[in-house]
Amino acid sequence: MASVKLTKVKKIYDNNVVAVHDFDLEIRDKEFVVFVGPSGCGKSTTLRMIAGLEEISEGTIEIDGEVVNDLQPKDRNIAMVFQNYALYPHMSVYDNIAFSLRLQKVPEDEIYARVTNAAEILGITDYLLRKPRALSGGQRQRVAIGRAMVRNSKVFLMDEPLSNLDAKLRNQMRAEIILLRQKLDTTFVYVTHDQTEAMTLGDRIVIMKDGYIQQVGTPTEVFEMPKNLFVAGFIGAPQMNMFETDLTLENGVYYVKPFGVKLPVDGEKGAALAAKNARPGHVTLGVRPEHVVLAEPGENAIACTLEVNEMMGSELHLHVYTEDETRLVVRVPTIRLDEQTRKCLVAGAKVYITFEGKVMHFFDPETTENLLN
Amino acid sequence: MKEKKTMKRHMGLRATNAISNSVIHVLLVIISIIWLIPFVCIVLQSFRMELTGQVGYVIPKQWGFGNYISLFKTDFTRWYINTFIIALVNAALQTVIVLCMSYTLSRFRFKMRGALMRFMMILGLFPGMLTMIILYRVLKDLGLTESNAVPGLILVYVASSGMGYYVSKGFFDTIPKSLDEAARVDGATRMQVLFKIILPLAKPIVIYTILTAFMAPWGDYVFARYISFNNPVGMNVAVGMYNWLTIDQINKNYTMFCAGGVVVAIPVTILFMCLQRYYVEGVTGGAVKG
Repeated sequence: MASVKLTKVKKIYDNNVVAVHDFDLEIRDKEFVVFVGPSGCGKSTTLRMIAGLEEISEGTIEIDGEVVNDLQPKDRNIAMVFQNYALYPHMSVYDNIAFSLRLQKVPEDEIYARVTNAAEILGITDYLLRKPRALSGGQRQRVAIGRAMVRNSKVFLMDEPLSNLDAKLRNQMRAEIILLRQKLDTTFVYVTHDQTEAMTLGDRIVIMKDGYIQQVGTPTEVFEMPKNLFVAGFIGAPQMNMFETDLTLENGVYYVKPFGVKLPVDGEKGAALAAKNARPGHVTLGVRPEHVVLAEPGENAIACTLEVNEMMGSELHLHVYTEDETRLVVRVPTIRLDEQTRKCLVAGAKVYITFEGKVMHFFDPETTENLLN
Repeated sequence: MKEKKTMKRHMGLRATNAISNSVIHVLLVIISIIWLIPFVCIVLQSFRMELTGQVGYVIPKQWGFGNYISLFKTDFTRWYINTFIIALVNAALQTVIVLCMSYTLSRFRFKMRGALMRFMMILGLFPGMLTMIILYRVLKDLGLTESNAVPGLILVYVASSGMGYYVSKGFFDTIPKSLDEAARVDGATRMQVLFKIILPLAKPIVIYTILTAFMAPWGDYVFARYISFNNPVGMNVAVGMYNWLTIDQINKNYTMFCAGGVVVAIPVTILFMCLQRYYVEGVTGGAVKG
């Protein structure tokens, strides 16, 4: 168990492409931190720099207070699970898991105890004598985790470990990783491009784009207070609705005027804008699909036309467009809809939507930063 | 009606395939027979007892092992041992060098790597014969010619080993790098990664490298002749046996020469028969995926 500290870490490749810019982060002991972002954002490169598989161009990485920049991966006391499992195909499952222990010259009876214990935790005891090619994707991933587990390392690194699995297995393995984390009680650094994985697994999430950290925070923080438009769009599925509108201030109350409808910014958000002394003007307004509600025609209702109705089981995803052709998504729990309303929600139907001030997010259209930062 | 037509077309296609397959097989059998004729002749001649010179027929009138017995009463055993030592040492050293070189070029990124590979490729385009004179001078100065030709020849063959990295590098490139990385995180050194992870997965290419490294000196004549400079102590089998085929010797030694040819072919044939599967995998694996 250990803390990991990255100070001004930079990665510049030979062709002068900068993959990671001035990465500053302190991962606390036993914390589960998830690096998330789109392809090419530098999340895997950063993880590989922590592992020692990628050279650090600038800055320092410390594990448990010791600078490890020049240490070989084997000397960093880390364990890593790879995206493609990276199991040794010529070895049995047992030998795969025991490989690192044999290199450390651990006595064979202790190796046996540790391997069988890990196999029991992961439910792969029956496959110990098989070769990796005789296992399914989920079983292989368990072996890869087992291989990392037996080392009792200070830091557990995982590079998109679930991305090769099908959706059902991914959900199952995600739950297993949460349980594993409780059992191992060590520091985890996890890389994924899937925001759901990031939200469900991480104590803190590091959202990255083009080699820069966009935001570091707990899942609740990044969801409720996205620092900029990128984070707002990346976290949450379906992604946040964003559109340009005017923010006005009348008699000490802020208003927004999306699609010709005047909506008050009440509650905490209004108070926060006032506290920040936000200047009225053009803003990018963000509202999450689950915060948009169907409404009756009226003063505060935005008229839309339904384009697509996606039935997701417990909820409907309604893709609508406004009179000025702005496309929005509305997420409606099916339990709230009566049979009659559901039948009316067909392509081309007229629907009215609205949202409250407390669910609004305000961004500067030029800097893309959240006005409440 | 339509079904009948499809059936007919299907039958027609099957018949065409069967005919073309038969033609191909007959052709292959003929080619194999033509290819085997010289080998069969040599084996038959090696058992001929009635005359020791060249004759106008293939099947001996009188059979026996006399030629094989006489063979081992000459310097043949020495040449055979010389050749075996050269081939074995070369196979061991060349395999290690080629595999290390290939692994390095496949896995490490360093300055001038591309230039080095291109340089070696261009250098490899020149025939080795061009270096003969200078090599002879160098080896003579080192005292590695004539009676000391065996270490001299080993030096010559091993010296250029690194240049033959292409096929093995192509094979190593097909092994995922994440295996190396996983092993390094697991605590392995680069050397352990090569020997514990990469080489067991590259068995076909290791065997291919050993076979080619063994074969090259086993059948070499030109360099061996030049460096041994007609000294029987330093000769290999090819050079020694060639001396039996001169105009004044051929009538005395022809059948013994054939017996020698058979003895020389035995270890290589056994090696190939045992390792043929890996050899083919090595050649195709390196060539196709590289």
